[in-house]
Amino acid sequence: MAASITGSRRSCRRQVIPILEILLFAVLAAAPIMLADYLTVFVTRVLILALLALSFDLVWGYAGIMSFGQALFFGAAGYSVALLARDLGVTSSFIVLPAALAIGLVLSLGVGAFLLLGRHPPTAIFVALGTLTGSYVADRLARGWYYLGGENGIPSIPPMTAHGYEFGEGRVYYYLAFTVLAIVYLICRFVVRSQLGLALAGAREDEARIAFLGYEAEQLKLIVFSLAGAIAGLAGGLYAFHEGFVWPNMLGVMLSTQIVLYALLGGIGTLIGPVIGVIAIEIAGFWLADSFPKIWPIILGLLLLVVVLLSPTGLIGFLVSERERAGSFGRHPLPARHADAGADDAAA
Amino acid sequence: MREETTDGRIAPTMGRRCFLQSVAWMSGAIATGVSSWSVQPDWANAAAAPIKVGIATDLTGAIAYVGNACANVAKMVVKDINNAGGILGRPIELFVTDTASTESVAVANVRRLVQRDKVDVVLGGITSSMRNAIKDVIVTRGKTLYIYPEQYEGKECTPYLFCTGPTPAQQCDQIIPWLIKNGGKRFALPSANYVWPHVVNKYARELIEKNEGEVIFEEYYPLDQVEYSATVNNIMTNNVQVVFNTIIAPGLGPFFKQLYQAGFGKRGGRLACVFYDENALNLNAPHEIEGLASCLDYYRAVTARDPASARIQALYDEQFPGKVLLAGAATGMYRGLKLWELAVREAGNLDREHVAAALDHAKISEGPGGPAEMVPGKRHCKMNMYTAVAKNGHFEIVARSEGLVDPREC
Repeated sequence: MAASITGSRRSCRRQVIPILEILLFAVLAAAPIMLADYLTVFVTRVLILALLALSFDLVWGYAGIMSFGQALFFGAAGYSVALLARDLGVTSSFIVLPAALAIGLVLSLGVGAFLLLGRHPPTAIFVALGTLTGSYVADRLARGWYYLGGENGIPSIPPMTAHGYEFGEGRVYYYLAFTVLAIVYLICRFVVRSQLGLALAGAREDEARIAFLGYEAEQLKLIVFSLAGAIAGLAGGLYAFHEGFVWPNMLGVMLSTQIVLYALLGGIGTLIGPVIGVIAIEIAGFWLADSFPKIWPIILGLLLLVVVLLSPTGLIGFLVSERERAGSFGRHPLPARHADAGADDAAA
Repeated sequence: MREETTDGRIAPTMGRRCFLQSVAWMSGAIATGVSSWSVQPDWANAAAAPIKVGIATDLTGAIAYVGNACANVAKMVVKDINNAGGILGRPIELFVTDTASTESVAVANVRRLVQRDKVDVVLGGITSSMRNAIKDVIVTRGKTLYIYPEQYEGKECTPYLFCTGPTPAQQCDQIIPWLIKNGGKRFALPSANYVWPHVVNKYARELIEKNEGEVIFEEYYPLDQVEYSATVNNIMTNNVQVVFNTIIAPGLGPFFKQLYQAGFGKRGGRLACVFYDENALNLNAPHEIEGLASCLDYYRAVTARDPASARIQALYDEQFPGKVLLAGAATGMYRGLKLWELAVREAGNLDREHVAAALDHAKISEGPGGPAEMVPGKRHCKMNMYTAVAKNGHFEIVARSEGLVDPREC
């Protein structure tokens, strides 16, 4: 798949992704001022899910690890902060958010080490099934464990606080989620454009070659996997307090697959793509459920199918040239050095 | 989406022209999308502003047949009230939203119901996890009244949340003594592993032991288990006389079938399943569940003796012919709406405090299954309970409660 693209004969020379990023930032920053209250709350939830989609894009789009387990880290952190709030009365954002982050990090480090650091490098299928199993086990465990509320989940989580201030749903929570998303996005952007990102992209394309260059590919993957797990955990903490409720589906295979769908629809390996994917799917679902209450899931499914058929690289493929989507490294990208296969693999 | 050029190199297909086309296409999509926001509810020239009733139920997903029955009943009752001149001289406008058997979707949709549509009351939610997911959005954050219309495990004592379906006490108090008399004293409690069976079994076990019966085993299986030969074997070798089942679909059908094939019915064993209503009857062939006992607030057979039930059933069948039956699961919706209607009439306005205070002691004299009344201070509903037995694919009533049965909650 080391296809090279010489020149940019037919691609748009202008960089579209930065424009998209700035546009989206501006729109999201202004959104609560223009939207009704209940829509602000809705978009807050979408932003939190966008964090989750970002975490998936890191592992699949950049490191080539097919993770069906992002919901595991998301849900585990959500449950943990719900328990902190319910049983210990801890709701301070200075404790619960770092706790959520740490839980996601530790858990993904454990799962990742188990799956990735074997004597032989694991196949993509092995990791996919391993994470899928993890997610499934956690789901079943939560359903059967009455301390966690079993099937019914944990309702009525008290609001998150900061020095006595309560983060109720609405604008304040929106900007909290927005700030977190912006910071996490910038960190991800930095990581994937760094030396680490370059090495990862190399490993994604051909692990043996990267190994010959002296990189420990599995360790690099583990680093990114844990980073993504930490992001998913943070999202889980934010989500639990925003919705005031955690339940087993939050950990399960359903949500894990949903995340994959978000990212595929938006366009993986671009960071901004999955964010757009979340926004597109959630808003489409929200409108359709209002207009066609009985058949909306079918319409939504058909829409997703049409997009994927028209543009295997996702929505972002409609706007961004192949060359730009695949990305480039360093200050002066050489036209011949370049890797762009991950997304196409996924689409196929 | 890449094309091979003649010299074998791969060129991207997205050119500036394509880009412009895509932008045009997308802005078109966005534009038409925006216009669809502003679809006005279809309400004809009403003089007074309508009272808004929100229904949030599973219109799609695995238990959509229950949700659609609930939505149908709500439409029927609202139509009835509007034909009779509405409430307080105002018509009722119905807002139905899908909870999609998915809690995260439900929360967003219900929030829209409460915050955009500003409904005066929300009825709905089918599973307990759904109720847990949406109750805060409605009651705490939305400051709106919530009526939960399903049979469930009890213990829901949130203020402003009223339950109009049967509780474990209402179901077990009736059926357990009947089972001991008409089945035997040796009980087995095979169950699906979630909250409702645990609570029902705890209550049932106490009653069984109080009535000098004994529980041979009480076991919990994963929700999606469909292979029950070990359980069936256990039942057959231990000479169990009554199987008090709380396994749910998808395991329910296979379990009853395997039990039938092992000869449980033939040797005089009694099946019991308290949530089995008319919608569930087609899960098994009639001979497999011959003699199955159930205990609910309504069966079609009730119409033979209760003219009010007969009238409601006829009205429903006329408006909604088809496979979505008016069965046990949708009667709480009827009761909830009617009790709420009375409460609003008594309160004289739609203020939540006033309506809740009136709803606390509301009584209706007619409904599917008979009269019903709220137990003051408990936010649960007293109702008639019927024990029915499946015969040839239909339920026949074999016992009726003496008067209204207390829910014993809160």
